[in-house]
Amino acid sequence: MSTFSGLSTALTALTAQRQALEVAGQNIANANTVGYTRQRAELQSVGSGQSATMFSQGSSVGNGVQVSGISRLGDLFLDARVRTTTSSAAFLATRAEAYGRLESTIAEPGTNGIAKQLDDFWATWQDVSNNPTSAAAGQVLIEGAHSVQRAISTGYSAVSTQWEQTRGKADALVSEINTTAASVAELNEKIRSISVSGGNANELIDQRNVLTTSLASLAGATVREHPDGTSDVSIGGNPIVSGIRAQKLTVVGGTTMVGATGADTVRVEWDRVPAGTTAALGGGELAGVLSVLAPADGQGTGGLLAEAAASYNALATKVATSVNSIHETVRADGSTGGPIFSISPAGPPALVLTVAVTDPSQINPGQGGEDGSIADQISQIGNAPGSPDEAWSSFVVATGVKAKAATQSAVVAETARATADNLQLAQTSVDLDEESVNMLAFQRSYQGAARVMTAIDEMLDQLINRTGVVGR
Amino acid sequence: MITRVTHQSAQRTSLANLQDNLAKMAALQAQASSGKLINKASDDPAKAAEAMALRKEQRAAEQYARNAQDGVSWLTTVDTAIQSSVDFMQRARDLTVQGANTGAVGLAAREALAVEVEGIRDALLGQANATYIGRSVFAGTANGSAFTKDAVTGEYVAATSHGTVERRVGENTTVRVDADGAQVFGDGATSAFALLTSIAADLRDPGVNVSSRITEIDTRISSMLSQASSIGARTNQLTAAQEALSTQTMTLKSDLSGVEDIDLAQTIIELQMQEVGYKAALGATARVLQPSLLDYLR
Repeated sequence: MSTFSGLSTALTALTAQRQALEVAGQNIANANTVGYTRQRAELQSVGSGQSATMFSQGSSVGNGVQVSGISRLGDLFLDARVRTTTSSAAFLATRAEAYGRLESTIAEPGTNGIAKQLDDFWATWQDVSNNPTSAAAGQVLIEGAHSVQRAISTGYSAVSTQWEQTRGKADALVSEINTTAASVAELNEKIRSISVSGGNANELIDQRNVLTTSLASLAGATVREHPDGTSDVSIGGNPIVSGIRAQKLTVVGGTTMVGATGADTVRVEWDRVPAGTTAALGGGELAGVLSVLAPADGQGTGGLLAEAAASYNALATKVATSVNSIHETVRADGSTGGPIFSISPAGPPALVLTVAVTDPSQINPGQGGEDGSIADQISQIGNAPGSPDEAWSSFVVATGVKAKAATQSAVVAETARATADNLQLAQTSVDLDEESVNMLAFQRSYQGAARVMTAIDEMLDQLINRTGVVGR
Repeated sequence: MITRVTHQSAQRTSLANLQDNLAKMAALQAQASSGKLINKASDDPAKAAEAMALRKEQRAAEQYARNAQDGVSWLTTVDTAIQSSVDFMQRARDLTVQGANTGAVGLAAREALAVEVEGIRDALLGQANATYIGRSVFAGTANGSAFTKDAVTGEYVAATSHGTVERRVGENTTVRVDADGAQVFGDGATSAFALLTSIAADLRDPGVNVSSRITEIDTRISSMLSQASSIGARTNQLTAAQEALSTQTMTLKSDLSGVEDIDLAQTIIELQMQEVGYKAALGATARVLQPSLLDYLR
């Protein structure tokens, strides 16, 4: 043990405490940075070297302290939990949002919906039945028919607009996923090269975590960490980022609701050769969007927009056929009335439904003369079982029930996500009190080490300058 | 697991709680300002269905009330026409009785009576062709007038091959609002008009005593009165239906309100309570986020 070793011990303390203080400073600086994980300087005492000489004297003291590393106080399991819950919360939130918007276009229950138009329409038939030859009543009836037709086609158009906007969102989401995946791959590369050279890539890892969480939210991505610091990101079990390489996704399928069925169903594929491999999604917003865009399956369990559109179509057909079938009854004199509504064979019935009568004289209220029996019969359509009104009302209620369920599960999933997020935050966020205490401790240690240095210096001063000067 | 609490997590939790409070308050405010408990079907799907059904019934009841009103007007027109016709027939009967008193009434006087009877016949025809908003109330569903003079025979013929005029006052209830002209006034050779024409002819013919016609007039009057009483019964039916419909409308309105509308007092109290909660949360947040060790270190 040399005379000056105490000085170097004090020096290691000065260096280590200063470095630890710097880490505290970094933590405080990033107290509000999104995704930042608090760090800690790991201090380690340096032992004395084993001196195996025969002249070594007594037990030796250690050689001070060193910073063995700057650790990132994250938790892989908490991170994974955040990703899983985020993925399902994003999926359910997307569906709930779509239902909410669909409901707002339905406008039921209320005085502006299709139910009201139908009720009014049936009532006008009664007026026509009361005054079969009145042109005024006929004109009101024709207007009523137009109102019903407009209400149905407006509802359908709103659904189809929502579909197209959602389709646009799918494209935007996929390009966001591709950019994010590319950034993750880039970060992997940087992290690996820094880790290999023994550097500190904590901040880059934080950034990568933010990106992978956003991939989980977008497409239900899962993450696997590698010992070299890189991490693989998989979507539905297939890697979108593996090491420093990123794959791309692409949206294929129709761009209109009518066209996006069968082989043109909207889906996500891997953008590589050969094309045509469908990418399974584990959850996330994109999966939610795809489920919203799915085609109708005829059993009411298809995509919610396509099913809504199918209900509008069914309603249009039902209104037209139920009114026309009575209106076209063969009268006592052998003549028949023409159709009130016509549906051209091309296009969705809700959009191509038109009012065929243009003049009150084309209305056939009864068996001739002042008879209004046919109009009266038509006015009772709304009360019959299997009426268009019944179909519409059951569609509204079914949508309401599904929307409610979707909202509830979205709320539950969001609570789970918030809990996971809070746990992660509790683990990783910077506590200013804690950092203040640390700062205090490091500062004091630094002061102590400086004092040790002064003491040794005074000791040496005693030895060098004041020893052996007796009688001078 | 004892969770580590940091300033950031405390801040995040407070913010989430504030957000939650505010969202609840906004929902209550929306209810209070719209006055509706159910703004969209998912608020309460079962009640939404009920509300839709009630609205439908309400609209139907409104239309039935309109139909009933129209029906009452029809029946009133019919009733008035029959009552006037009965008065005319009474007058004709009086004249016939006068004419039958052959000892006292001379030929010239009988001629005057005959002219008056013919006048009554024409007036009666006016009543038989009474209209309500342009439609002959005794013609059923036929177009045009109820009685027309046949150009060949000169008889007054009732409109034929027509149905009855019905007004729907309930899902399964219709009420007939016209009267069959042929039953009230008779048809062709057996009609009241033909009867009056023959009476006029008999009065002009000095060799005939018209007293035998009095029974015929009585028969006609009694058949007119029996139609009038049937009209009265149907008017009662319609009036009762109108009353029922107006009660139903009120009931439906209150039912709909019960399903759809908020309890204002309750909502306002809830809103107040939520506001108190929100203020407390704001106060707590302000306190939680303020202190830090840094305040106490020199």
